[in-house]
Amino acid sequence: MKRNIAMVALPAAAAAAAALLADDFVLRFLAEILLFGIAVMSLDILIGFGGLMSLGHAALFGGAAYAAAIAARQWGGDVALVLGSGIATGMVLAALMGVVVLRSGHLFLLILTLLMGQMVWEVAFHWREVTGGADGLRGLPALSLGPWTLSTARALFLLAALLAAVAFVVGRSFVAAPIGRALVGTREEPIRMAALGYSLFAVRFRALVLAGALAGAAGALFPFVNLYVGPQSVHWTQSAAMVIMLVIGGIGSLWGAFIGSAVYLGIQTYLSAYTDRWQLCVGLVFVLTVLLLPNGIASGLRILRDRLRRRGA
Amino acid sequence: MPNATDHEGRASSASARAAASAAATRRLLLVGATAGALAPLATPALAQARPLRIGMVTSLSGPFAALGESMRAGMRLLLAQSGERFADRPVELIVEDDQARPDDGVRKARKLIGQDRVDLLCGVIHSGVALALRDVVTEAQMPTFLLGSANDLARKAVSPYILRPTKTNWMLGSTAARRSHETHPGARVVTAASDYAAGREFVGDFVQTYQEFGGRIGRQFWTPLGSADFGPLLTAIAAERPDSVYVFFAGSDAVRFLRQWKEYRLAGRIRLTGTGACFDQEDVLPAVGDAALGAVNTFHQSPTAPASAAFVEAYRTSGKGLPGEFSTTGYACGQVLRAATERTGGDPTDWARTRQALFDAPVDTAFGRMPFDPRNGQAILDIHVHEVRSAPGGVINTVVHTYPQLRDPGPNA
Repeated sequence: MKRNIAMVALPAAAAAAAALLADDFVLRFLAEILLFGIAVMSLDILIGFGGLMSLGHAALFGGAAYAAAIAARQWGGDVALVLGSGIATGMVLAALMGVVVLRSGHLFLLILTLLMGQMVWEVAFHWREVTGGADGLRGLPALSLGPWTLSTARALFLLAALLAAVAFVVGRSFVAAPIGRALVGTREEPIRMAALGYSLFAVRFRALVLAGALAGAAGALFPFVNLYVGPQSVHWTQSAAMVIMLVIGGIGSLWGAFIGSAVYLGIQTYLSAYTDRWQLCVGLVFVLTVLLLPNGIASGLRILRDRLRRRGA
Repeated sequence: MPNATDHEGRASSASARAAASAAATRRLLLVGATAGALAPLATPALAQARPLRIGMVTSLSGPFAALGESMRAGMRLLLAQSGERFADRPVELIVEDDQARPDDGVRKARKLIGQDRVDLLCGVIHSGVALALRDVVTEAQMPTFLLGSANDLARKAVSPYILRPTKTNWMLGSTAARRSHETHPGARVVTAASDYAAGREFVGDFVQTYQEFGGRIGRQFWTPLGSADFGPLLTAIAAERPDSVYVFFAGSDAVRFLRQWKEYRLAGRIRLTGTGACFDQEDVLPAVGDAALGAVNTFHQSPTAPASAAFVEAYRTSGKGLPGEFSTTGYACGQVLRAATERTGGDPTDWARTRQALFDAPVDTAFGRMPFDPRNGQAILDIHVHEVRSAPGGVINTVVHTYPQLRDPGPNA
């Protein structure tokens, strides 16, 4: 019980402290970390629990970002509209992707998700009238909730933090629920699961659609961080970056996703001021994580905590 | 280990001194507080002493990496020549990499504005990044010297916080069409360009102007930015058998295109015209040898125009080759920043005053005399027509004609 309170109180306190103390740039940066974190966490449900290695996750995230941006330009930046269009787009894209890719596994799944993702990129890149082509979309209205406009960095951060909390609870509930256990079962013992009467496709499909909804919700707010969305956000390199964030943060832990995105974006934003070779640093961190902490920074922190507790006891 | 003892000795004596001076510290604090209270009176002097912080967003990785390096080198050269001071105020330059991607460019600009608290912002190569930054700097009311060349920045997307000491794409596209019409009237031209904002605009303006003169346009080809293989494009161009082809590629794309242009034996068979960026003196021509020989291009930057002679000389003495567009752009932008600082007595942050000071009189830059158009803050520039000719030690963009003082149609276009 005490642990549960700490688990709620700590992040809430951290978010409140950040909202009070940090400047605009940091708040927007934290919002970006949280949004990417949500998307990576949804990818963790697929990879970490379902063993479904996807290289098309940016298509769900970025596709939702485009949908939300287009909807907002058309009808204004109401949060419900923005989130709704993003979540719906994420789920529809995930469902389409699921119908095509989920009959295959392993390498073929990887390649099929990559191809599906690139198809979304092609649409975003070439449909200039709607998506702005290579130039992307700008000129977005400010987010609003009923009568209040949420244009400040603080409001955006708090919105992202709230969304992250909700997404985390949803993600945790999903993996703890029977459907989540069944998803792990389809990864570990697909033949036995099928023999037990589970439809592998149905279990995986639901997981993918849920991941699409979460990634879509995060993607919906993403254009409002920088008031811009471009084709880079649906490109497969973005999917690969998400996989890297996930590996650095820790596969199978859900909350590691947020650490991974913080480390990746932190290196990209801060280190690149000192060196043009920041990607080398990401590579080094990646290699070191894989060698020393195969389950990511999240597992490293857990080991550290257990050691401290044992010493304390 | 003499070193270690030395360190310890120093450390202990330092701590002793710290303890002894505790009382002195209190007195110092008092003095400090008084000084703090008086500080507002002394602000002008303090503002002078504080360095002028200039943020630069440019591409140091990705397809424009070489161009970004050049832009930074040009700016650094001007800073070195000015003794790292504008109007006797020290200048601090902070450079950030946008990877030629709008998302990253926006994030970096926000960092420069929000965290590094720069006084002035400049830079940008990719037109898409420039357009994406437009809303951010306008919202933050950040004085910005934007070097991307999207037409909209001088038209629909004009911002009171943005000055543009460089060309617009229209200036190059329309002059190329004029020149084509004047030298080869009636020629059938196909176009090939990178598919992003700049390419669309260069080709769009070329096509529009050329058709207004009654010229014939064939097919229009587009390739994604960062293409490795231009084979399919070149075969398609060859199959079209045009009189001439108008191209826009930048950075490493231009190098690969021109090399393959020669490998596919199109060099010398089809007349090659394009934007100057595709035949950049520094970043493209040295890498392609004679593949571009005879090509005609229009450009605001020229290694052979009289106005740039002093800069060309200085750049060469700094150990580099002939300067290209972006080293000159970086340098000229520095010249404008310097003029802005000097004309406002060392404090260009009062933006309305700075803007007016730059509108009042032209600035002499490596692009020539540069007046600003008060309607949109856009520079008015000479556009040179170059032919790529062989010269001792390589090939050189040689001025064959100049369209003087070209002014973008502006917000009403």
